[in-house]
Amino acid sequence: MMEFDGDFESDLPREELWKYFTDPDVLAECAPGCDSIEMRSPHELTATVAVGVGSVKPTFDVDAVVTKADRPELLEMQADGNASRNAFDLVAEMALVETDSGGTRVDWAARTEVSGMIASLGQRALGSVTHKLVNDFFEDLEEKAREGQPAESKLEAKPDADASLE
Amino acid sequence: MKPAPFEYHRPTTVAEATALLAEHRDAELMAGNQSLGIVMANRLATPDHIVDLGGVEELDGIEERADGDIAVGAMTTHRTIERSDLLAERLPMLPEAAAQIAGPSVRNRGTLGGSVGEADPAGNYPAALLALDATLELASAEETRSVPVADYFIAYMFTDLGEDEIITAARVPTDPFPPERTGMAFLELKPAAQTWPTVSAASVVRVDDPDADDPVIEEVRLALANAADVPLRVEAAEEALEGEPLSEETLDAAAAAATEAADPEAEMHADREFKEEVAGEYAKRSLETSYERATDGDSTRSDA
Repeated sequence: MMEFDGDFESDLPREELWKYFTDPDVLAECAPGCDSIEMRSPHELTATVAVGVGSVKPTFDVDAVVTKADRPELLEMQADGNASRNAFDLVAEMALVETDSGGTRVDWAARTEVSGMIASLGQRALGSVTHKLVNDFFEDLEEKAREGQPAESKLEAKPDADASLE
Repeated sequence: MKPAPFEYHRPTTVAEATALLAEHRDAELMAGNQSLGIVMANRLATPDHIVDLGGVEELDGIEERADGDIAVGAMTTHRTIERSDLLAERLPMLPEAAAQIAGPSVRNRGTLGGSVGEADPAGNYPAALLALDATLELASAEETRSVPVADYFIAYMFTDLGEDEIITAARVPTDPFPPERTGMAFLELKPAAQTWPTVSAASVVRVDDPDADDPVIEEVRLALANAADVPLRVEAAEEALEGEPLSEETLDAAAAAATEAADPEAEMHADREFKEEVAGEYAKRSLETSYERATDGDSTRSDA
């Protein structure tokens, strides 16, 4: 199992950012390598995502479930992705913390099991790339919020959901 | 294993190449094909389209620009760089770095742009170009832009290069490197002759007066390869040396700074601690060599 964490600071209030984090259309635009996202229910998403390292860039079919959504503080998702010769299982959590200046600090953490070719690249290589991709995601999303692109919170937690890596 | 089926494109101009990238979203660029072919044969990468830059002549060659910068085209091979008289005289670090890449067959086909595009942190040009404060010229179908090497390498094999962009050239300023009082060195430790280095150290030293008894270091640059997940510039080592003649004390301080800055990944043949130690030792040897070359009034390799 690999674990990653980090934080991102924004001067936008968390109520405002929350709408963007929970709007699948915004996620589709900002998620790195994302080709498409479909909302199957308010707590289930399917997506096609091409991410990797260097020229090793598998296209994953991803199923994600929202396991916690405590507006505007905490969002947790569980996801699994499958590609040719690669797979991952992931639990990702974001805590939105109000800062003294009224902005937001996003504390994020992810636990993942990766198998296949990508796994052979090693934890430090993946960690290095993961941080870059997550930051890009937050920056793109914040920019959409700053530009005032409309967003609507559509995601809810699945009732009685419990996130765990099997 | 054989690679998965793909469509092969061989453009002859940069415009044609960037148009192909704009058209085919999952296309991979192929330069000298000393790395991508292996990855594809092992089916680690299965792109549907390959854009081979081997026929794009405008990407090949080394030229001095009107402003004194030297531009090395992305498709220039290691062998051409190794043998360039212009580079030997003005930017001898590049021929020295090129000469130590793998073996002759790889050097005959491998290219500068391929190495910079792959962005393996163990690569020779990424560290050398970082030490030389080079700028990369990039082109897409829409626009061309320049990115300082220091901003280009973002994470392990991850760069600022867009999916629709190609590297056209690396541009190196020559102003900071007057040959009569500049020395450069590229040193690497390898577990075996034709393989990747454990750690490499690239350095440039410019002194005030090579004929003085103790020439003072005016400017120094140090970059390490394979000591972190990106090529690593060690500014603390540079600060330890600038404004002083070379002494054992300042050299030791620079080596300690290199060891401190290194954040290497353990490999089969070298654990973290060993690589940190090598980073310090090779930083020291490289800086010492650069200083010697700067003070003997000839920036080129003393053995050349």
